Amino acid sequence: MTKTVLTIDDSRTMREMLSMALVQAGYRVIQAVDGVEGLEILKSEGADVVITDINMPRLDGFGVIEGVRANPDHRATPILVLTTESDVAKKERARQAGATGWIVKPFNPVKLVDAVRRVAA
Amino acid sequence: MDPFESIKATFFQECEELLTDLESGLLAMERGEKDSETINAVFRAVHSVKGGAGAFGLEELIRFAHVFETALDLIRSGKIEPTDEVVKILLRANDVLADHVQAARSDGSVEHSRSAAMLDELQTLIGAEAAAALEDGGDDEDDFGFTPVQMVVEDGGEAPAAEAEPPTGPGARVWRIEFQPKPEMYVKANEAGLVLRELARLGSTEVDVDGAEVPPLDQLMAEHAYLRWTIKLTTDQDEAAIREVFEFVEDDCVLTITEETGGETFEDEPPAVVPPQDEFDPAALLARLTGAAPAAEAPAAEAPPEPAAPAPPAAEPEGMDVAGLIAMAQKATTDAEPAAEPAPKAAPAAAASAPPSSTASAPAATIRVDLDRVDRLINAVGELVIQQAMLSQRVIESGLARSSAVALGLEDLELLTREIQDSVMAIRAQPVKSVFQRMPRLVRECADMTGKKVRLVMEGENTEVDKTVIERLSDPITHMLRNAIDHGLETPADREMEGKPVEGTVRLAALHRGGRIVIEVSDDGRGINRERVRNIAVSKGLIAEDAVLTEDETDNLIFLPGFSTAETISDLSGRGVGMDVVKRSVLALGGRISISSEPGKGSKFSMSLPLTLAVLDGMVVTSAEQTLVAPLSNIVESLTPKAEEVHYIGGQDAVIRIRDTFVPLIDVGRALGFRDTPLNAADSVAILVESEGGGKAALLVDAIQGQRQVVIKSLEANYQHVEGVAAATILGDGRVALILDVDALVTTSRRKSAPREKRMAV
Repeated sequence: MTKTVLTIDDSRTMREMLSMALVQAGYRVIQAVDGVEGLEILKSEGADVVITDINMPRLDGFGVIEGVRANPDHRATPILVLTTESDVAKKERARQAGATGWIVKPFNPVKLVDAVRRVAA
Repeated sequence: MDPFESIKATFFQECEELLTDLESGLLAMERGEKDSETINAVFRAVHSVKGGAGAFGLEELIRFAHVFETALDLIRSGKIEPTDEVVKILLRANDVLADHVQAARSDGSVEHSRSAAMLDELQTLIGAEAAAALEDGGDDEDDFGFTPVQMVVEDGGEAPAAEAEPPTGPGARVWRIEFQPKPEMYVKANEAGLVLRELARLGSTEVDVDGAEVPPLDQLMAEHAYLRWTIKLTTDQDEAAIREVFEFVEDDCVLTITEETGGETFEDEPPAVVPPQDEFDPAALLARLTGAAPAAEAPAAEAPPEPAAPAPPAAEPEGMDVAGLIAMAQKATTDAEPAAEPAPKAAPAAAASAPPSSTASAPAATIRVDLDRVDRLINAVGELVIQQAMLSQRVIESGLARSSAVALGLEDLELLTREIQDSVMAIRAQPVKSVFQRMPRLVRECADMTGKKVRLVMEGENTEVDKTVIERLSDPITHMLRNAIDHGLETPADREMEGKPVEGTVRLAALHRGGRIVIEVSDDGRGINRERVRNIAVSKGLIAEDAVLTEDETDNLIFLPGFSTAETISDLSGRGVGMDVVKRSVLALGGRISISSEPGKGSKFSMSLPLTLAVLDGMVVTSAEQTLVAPLSNIVESLTPKAEEVHYIGGQDAVIRIRDTFVPLIDVGRALGFRDTPLNAADSVAILVESEGGGKAALLVDAIQGQRQVVIKSLEANYQHVEGVAAATILGDGRVALILDVDALVTTSRRKSAPREKRMAV
């Protein structure tokens, strides 16, 4: 069964990079442009994995993690956060909030797919 | 296009948008809106530019964006106060960032001194301490030394499974891994099963699971962690590779990794022996779970449980489902069991998760489409409009009643066609924002150069207009703004003397009016000095000394070719071009431009343009049995000439007297070579037109048929350029009509009657 990955990022460049790598690896990709839209899409369409950026308008990545975990249907949905190496504090905060794993930007496509596979059943 | 290149193109496109957001955010801060929402948006913009640049290894851009971002981060966290002074620095940093983006895009470079000076300024702002941290953050820089990897991605699980070298031979090492998840691990949706699966990709594994802690089912808590694993991994990978597998769970489990030494290797163990008592026994565990312990345990010791007891596939998604975990653990054991095989296949689990290739569906609010495709659509719709008009005409000609079913159906078709045409035109429409966004910078630079204080107010940025028009708005707006700052606004000292605010205001506005877009540039400066304008016009021979002009007419003299009011040609508006150039380019777009002014209060330039260049409002005329279209924007008036108003000069060249001036009379039929014999002016209609250059002429035609909107078809693209003809169109009756190039016609006639030119007023 094709796995669906929901990518939430306000940067179109980042969304396209994620999408290209994941689609090539055989995943179905749904994109959302900020946290609010991300949670809406998750609710209406569902997803097997969520990848979210931290810095976003309307609702940031921490909000996304909390929102996903608060939804009984998605308490067990893996969430990967996009972080930068310099931001250890943010990574830890995301982890505490319930993030499953992280992807360090700038990522290379192989690493990205690796991370997704590591959390997606 | 290479997908990577295509994403890079997206990146630069996005950069433009981000830079716009950045600038408008900073401008908002300049106005005093220093709320966290605004500051965050500003930070995000720079952050996203940096992030994208990182992906493409654009070093210069990254370096600058990084320092800029650091400064913004300090403002965001309240460590730097965003005073006016600070915001000014940020605005200039914004300009330099834009330069960096531009340089990266064109593979060029930024003027080093400018960038370095800006960096210094930002560093000073950031402060010594943080700046040192920046230097130290060498790591951070390294993160972005990312070289784009060719986007070839292995297919889900299969390729890596194949990569997993058979863990034999000299490189093979045996590791003992103890892994005990804490409940927190499951809360974060991590799964032990997946970790084991990843581990199996590194080599061959033998997995023992300790289920001793699992309580009876009625006491079992779904979110508790009861199982612990001991894995024997034979691989040629090092510890770091193994740790990487546990990267996400390391902090939420007890993990020990030790390398086994000596002869105690994996292969030494007899593979098929009955498992010792304390080893994982699914049946026993299940039995204990259900509470039927003793009865079930006995047979379990004798006959090992169904090994492949078709556990639900490892791809089971529920993370906290203990049964799923057990199933997976079971699977891991069974996979590892046939240890006689040199390369145990870890594939099943992986294969189950290898998603079949599929196309992505990415619902988004907007899509990007090649302009080419849109143009094809517009062309096709143009044809549709023509075809529909032809059909209507045929139906009328065939004598069918207007109430007939066919005629009624056609009416509906006509409405539908118009709707489609409007919708298609709307696709090409874009907000003028993309042009307006460049203006704040221009204004800042102009203000700096002239030493004036300027505040730019923009309105109607979301007003939409056809893309082709947008591209050509930039030059006239630039010119009008420069003019407003350079000539319109007074120096701060002068303004103070006149009791005006020291800071001058320039307003740039866009609005829709009467099916056209109107761009207005107004200032609160000194206004036009009419007396001086008039004197200059007279001294340059542009008007007669005794000409009587209204105030408006006087103001509009500045559009005449060669007019320049600045006593010294300034750095800005000078450059050998005046407002006449602006007027010409506006007219070339089928637009009009005018100025109104109030001495001491300011001036306002107003330019109006058609919303699209794909259709044109024209006047359909006939000449020598040909149907022609004159662009409405060129037409001043139409009149029926009287014989005594027409004067012949020399051979066949004629002028017509219209009120107090003479203008050349052009017989269109002859000018285009449709006939040789001159037309009798008295039996014809004269259309007074004004060319882009401001020259006037009267076009003599047989008759006027009416006004119509026509779809423009390029002659150059379909045939070749014809002097005096701008383009062609197809009329409702299917006939091709040429669209007159009024400018060319007038220029030709004016060449012939050049001496008369001077007498023409505006």
